[in-house]
Amino acid sequence: MSRVLLLLSRTSYRAEAFVAAAHRLDVDVTVGSNHRQALAELTPGGALTLELEDVDRSVATIVRFASDDPLAAIVAAEDDFAQVAAAASAALGLRHHPLEAVRSARNKAVMRRRLETGGLPSPWFHVASVEDDTGVEAARARYPCVLKPLALSASRGVIRADTPEEFGRAWSRIHEILQQRDAVLRSGHAVAEILIEAYMPGLEVAVEGIVVGGRLQTLAVLDKPDAMEGPFFEETILVTPSRLPEGVQREIVSCVQRSVTILGLADGPVHAELRVDGERTSLLEIAPRSIGGRCSSILRFEPEATLEDLILHHALGMPIDEFRQAPGAGGVLMLPIPEAGVLLGVGGSASALEVPGIEGLEITIPVGQTVVPLPEGNRYLGFLFARAATSEQAEVALRAAHARLDVRIERSELDFRNRA
Amino acid sequence: MLTKLRGGLKTTHRRAPRTSLDGPVMNPLALHLTRSSSAQPAIGSMSDPSKPTVEFTNLAKDTVLRFMEMQGSESLAVRIQVASPSPLDPRYEFTIIEPDEKNPEDMVLDGYGFELVMEPESAKLLNGARVDWIETVTESGFKVQNPNLAPIGSKPLEGPLADRVRQVIDQIVNPGVAQHGGRVTLVEVRDNIVYLQMGGGCQGCGMASVTLSQGIVGILREQVPEIEGVEDVTNHGDGKNPYITASK
Repeated sequence: MSRVLLLLSRTSYRAEAFVAAAHRLDVDVTVGSNHRQALAELTPGGALTLELEDVDRSVATIVRFASDDPLAAIVAAEDDFAQVAAAASAALGLRHHPLEAVRSARNKAVMRRRLETGGLPSPWFHVASVEDDTGVEAARARYPCVLKPLALSASRGVIRADTPEEFGRAWSRIHEILQQRDAVLRSGHAVAEILIEAYMPGLEVAVEGIVVGGRLQTLAVLDKPDAMEGPFFEETILVTPSRLPEGVQREIVSCVQRSVTILGLADGPVHAELRVDGERTSLLEIAPRSIGGRCSSILRFEPEATLEDLILHHALGMPIDEFRQAPGAGGVLMLPIPEAGVLLGVGGSASALEVPGIEGLEITIPVGQTVVPLPEGNRYLGFLFARAATSEQAEVALRAAHARLDVRIERSELDFRNRA
Repeated sequence: MLTKLRGGLKTTHRRAPRTSLDGPVMNPLALHLTRSSSAQPAIGSMSDPSKPTVEFTNLAKDTVLRFMEMQGSESLAVRIQVASPSPLDPRYEFTIIEPDEKNPEDMVLDGYGFELVMEPESAKLLNGARVDWIETVTESGFKVQNPNLAPIGSKPLEGPLADRVRQVIDQIVNPGVAQHGGRVTLVEVRDNIVYLQMGGGCQGCGMASVTLSQGIVGILREQVPEIEGVEDVTNHGDGKNPYITASK
């Protein structure tokens, strides 16, 4: 029986979905993580403990493991282990994006440079160190602009500035965020960099796909119907299929394919985010991974399959051409955290579930834990899921259900720097 | 679970969330029963032993008739279907149907004041079931007590297989998960499937599914080879202190 190595960050939402997909394919699974699994010593071959910060060491551990238990595929569920997966796959001759392409896509500044050099229309951008002089950087910027700390992900620390004064305030706030313990760990204790780029107006969309031999196979185009104009860029609703005209969707997919080609992404999942402003389509970023959080559950395919099924299919060398998005529409609402404090509870869940089209509600932060909104926070309160005949209906259902939720938070002034 | 009645009427029979208590999984409707009703004699077995027996309480029967009257239905037939036969989450669908919606292979029972229509597979699964109508402050709906699909945890935990599984959980699994503040409780062993609940640090942990699939399943397979599957019946959403909280 084939064995697949699933690389999961210790805080992954995706463990269950990927493990279930592997079992559906009837392959043996080893889970690699930067967290020692409970019972690991009692079930040899079931789990590997790896180090996120030390790619070479993790690759050596995987290669050693594979000499006893041959691997047919290595799949990273999130960004964190993408480089380890790429390097270990190269060492073992397994199908994956090349390491260099993954490195480029994981660093927003490198990605911007490479895309611009490769001829993709790109916004004005500039990279600065967080230790640089704020006034100099503010004077250099073109407005409106967006500041993006390179060490962080999922909109954390991403702030729009329309004036030099706003730039200064955003810079200070990012400086504070980058002193949080987890941010220091993510940046590898190096001096953190900030990408400053032109604000791109327009509707935001996402593309989910799998690259097969350098060719993008688009699995879904997702609309983000809430205006994302800043100053923070909180993701809320995603619905698919997209309601944009077919011609616009073709341009979106074409833009993603060009980015894939320029970066050299060859085999594996990609998740891209773009802005569409009239005729103009601009890539915000493309990542060598699939969609994050629990959002993959809104993607359904025919013949019956999940996104995780397709990712494993491809990694194991099986064709995925026959799969198409299933009829109907799916939507997810990533529940925003309204204010900082301690979560006391979420009321109205039964009522929210009564809304026609709502399929599920998951509150993923336990009662009693600290909650922090963007731009400092790094997680969602939970997820609402909808299934309907059309994307409009799915969106309406999500908004109606969200309105029925009563999020109770005991407000507090928090010292974010000491938060894990 | 939604109990649907054709014609736009909907009454709720909510899906039973799994209890977070360290005990058997229970249908919360059973805990909130506010009205009692005397049972209608079971229909089926007296007249024809080959037909299934399905009991309706007077209240359930009256409610069906009331819905039919409200819809101006002339068919006086209701179809019950087992929408999900899983003992983890058995679900039933009630639909008022027109005469031309009966299929030749359907099993039809009468004697309730209306015809009860079931396709053969549902009829088999519903044999011996008792249907009641309940109303509480928060919900109302048909409640089906079905010995064929008794909820997991409702049967006594006894027998040599359950004893062996419990021994493995107590002596091997729990000392391991205790390192993460977790614990595992055996809920039931049915048809060689182990149903268990995770508590403490395991409840709501982002890696609980990995602990289950990569740890517990392997250990149980090795120690109790006749076990054919392991199901986690934990309500992870109620976890108060998970060892790891997912965030990406």
